[in-house]
Amino acid sequence: MADVTIPPVIHLRGLEKRFGIGDAEHSAIDHINLTIKKGEFVAIMGPSGCGKTTLLNILGLLDRSFDGDYELDGQSVDTISKRKQARIRSQQIGFVFQNFNLVPRLSVIENVALPLIYKGIIRTKRLKIASEILRNFHLNEREYYMPHQLSGGQTQRVAIARALVNEPSIILADEPTGNLDSRASHIIMEELSDLHKRGNTIIMVTHNPRLTTYASRVITMLDGRIDTDTKSHIAPQKNRRHKKPVRKTKRNKK
Amino acid sequence: MRFLLLNHAQNAYQSLRSSRVRSFLTMLGVTIGIASITAILALSSGASKIISDQISSVGGNIAVIRPGTTTDPIASITQSGLNRDYAASTLTEADITYITNITNVRSIAPLMVLSGTIKADSVAPINSPIVASTPSLADISNLQLREGQFLDNGINQNVVVVGSDLSVNVFGTESSIGRILSIHNQSFTVIGILKKLNDPMNYNSVDFDNTAIINFASGKKLNNNVAQIQQINVKTKPDTDLKATISDISKALVNSHAGEHDFSILTGEQIAKPTSQLFYAIAGGSTAIAAVSLIVGGIGIMNIMLVTVAERTREIGIRKALGASNSDISWQFLIESLAISLGGGISGYICGYILAFGISHFLTFDPAFSWEIVAIALTISVVMGTLFGLYPAMRAARKDPIESLYQV
Ligand SMILES: Nc1ncnc2c1ncn2[C@@H]1O[C@H](COP(=O)(O)OP(=O)(O)OP(=O)(O)O)[C@@H](O)[C@H]1O
Ligand SMILES: [Mg+2]
Repeated sequence: MADVTIPPVIHLRGLEKRFGIGDAEHSAIDHINLTIKKGEFVAIMGPSGCGKTTLLNILGLLDRSFDGDYELDGQSVDTISKRKQARIRSQQIGFVFQNFNLVPRLSVIENVALPLIYKGIIRTKRLKIASEILRNFHLNEREYYMPHQLSGGQTQRVAIARALVNEPSIILADEPTGNLDSRASHIIMEELSDLHKRGNTIIMVTHNPRLTTYASRVITMLDGRIDTDTKSHIAPQKNRRHKKPVRKTKRNKK
Repeated sequence: MRFLLLNHAQNAYQSLRSSRVRSFLTMLGVTIGIASITAILALSSGASKIISDQISSVGGNIAVIRPGTTTDPIASITQSGLNRDYAASTLTEADITYITNITNVRSIAPLMVLSGTIKADSVAPINSPIVASTPSLADISNLQLREGQFLDNGINQNVVVVGSDLSVNVFGTESSIGRILSIHNQSFTVIGILKKLNDPMNYNSVDFDNTAIINFASGKKLNNNVAQIQQINVKTKPDTDLKATISDISKALVNSHAGEHDFSILTGEQIAKPTSQLFYAIAGGSTAIAAVSLIVGGIGIMNIMLVTVAERTREIGIRKALGASNSDISWQFLIESLAISLGGGISGYICGYILAFGISHFLTFDPAFSWEIVAIALTISVVMGTLFGLYPAMRAARKDPIESLYQV
């Protein structure tokens, strides 16, 4: 009953994404059917070039030119206006890009505060919130650095902080720990699993099989298709909790 | 929305500051344009103010009748020279009589401006005007005497009242009462010398400091017995309705002109419109500069904004990915172009006044300040920023998020 009344957060039917034309045409995503329910923590794995980023771009409403059906919260995205899509990106979706995509001319704190602009939050409040979340990621000393002054790992943490600053209910993270050592990776993963436990939906691309232990479901892709899917909804992280040397990060809300 | 605008303003400030030279150069075009416009307006309202002060100093109840129907300042640039010397005036001596007979008219002074050689010990400068008028000119135009007396109906011989500069020019002294002045080879006796007025800018368009004023009848004689009236000044009785009197005058004149409305009656503000040729030369020149530099400045803004949009393609993609809507993006860039044009406008306003005060050294009046000029300068800059910023802003807004994100 509940399954009928509450639509899945993400429902893909025959999703296809082709690049190029004529002979050069190839499918980056080849007929994917996928349903993700609210509160799932999905890890997506797969070899380079199998279409993971392409999939996330579609899920994040950035890429609108695809074939097949994508329903977000039960509504087909074709029928959602651009303005509404922008609002969804602003209020519901947090995106961590594979290549971070910080704005080079803005400082770290301004980059993190960027999504809050479009929620209509005033500057002082924005900076306060951004500063708080940067503290959680141990970046409070780098607030006024420019992106080019950061190390790869710091850049990545800023990108994650920016994705989470909006308190989105869907988090799309494209290799959020690619540049981090295992200790730093686990800080991030703790943060994500914390959000997961609070009922948010997380879709994370990773190449590190050890990190999939945080996930409730692991999907592997191959050549634009879903290869394997654990479909397990039992959160395995309970017993696989790593001995954490890191202190528990706290997101003080309000 | 208000928050967003504020935020965009902060963002624009930051972005303009980060490329200072570029922003400065872009603003320069607008600055020059607005500066020229401000200078024109400041000077023209300064000139108008002088004239309206003159009119109110003589009681404010003055009307000026000029031949022809044009009150268009542009036309008067091209025509004023002609009118004065060659074209036949539509105003006649009969008109003077008609107007004099209208109830509320207190005094009337026709103005016939002639040119010709004025000489005594030495020859006066070529452009020294010869004005033929009636005794009431002193009252209507507030002319005061340094020495001697003004024209008088009782004195019918050839007499002349000279401006103080003219007296110095031809006699070498300001005290020239009783001496003989030759105008058009006729001899005139100096009966009065005007106090130095030092305002060539007045509603008679005559620099009285350099003028020889003679009786209307003498003037007519000099002009082959033709009364060539350039202007009739009318002063009405105090506390009477100027408008009603004007319409009486108008009716009387149309009657005497066989139904033809070939004259214009100006009052207050209309008279105050500057008539000096120098002024129009400056105004015309700076209007042209202003127009060209505003267009060039606008194109500069558009150009720089297109470059900015291209440079920030990736940023646009990022912002959209983080929740910016198309209108958020277009506002961001529109406000940046507005910041450029407003910055140019404000500095142009300031430079305009510096320019106006510089020019006013060569003129006899100071530029005037008024909120209208501020409003005009601001309006033009806002319009420019919007007009030339709109296209780049739309282009930015239309960018596809995913293509922008993957652009290198
Ligand atoms: N803009 C594009 N034009 C043409 N082909 C593209 C474009 N973007 C992606 N592709 C192709 O689509 C396929 C999937 O790319 P995608 O970026 O999704 O891979 P990925 O799984 O994220 O790989 P990685 O693990 O290396 O990040 C690749 O073969 C790539 O060449
Ligand atoms: Mg990828």
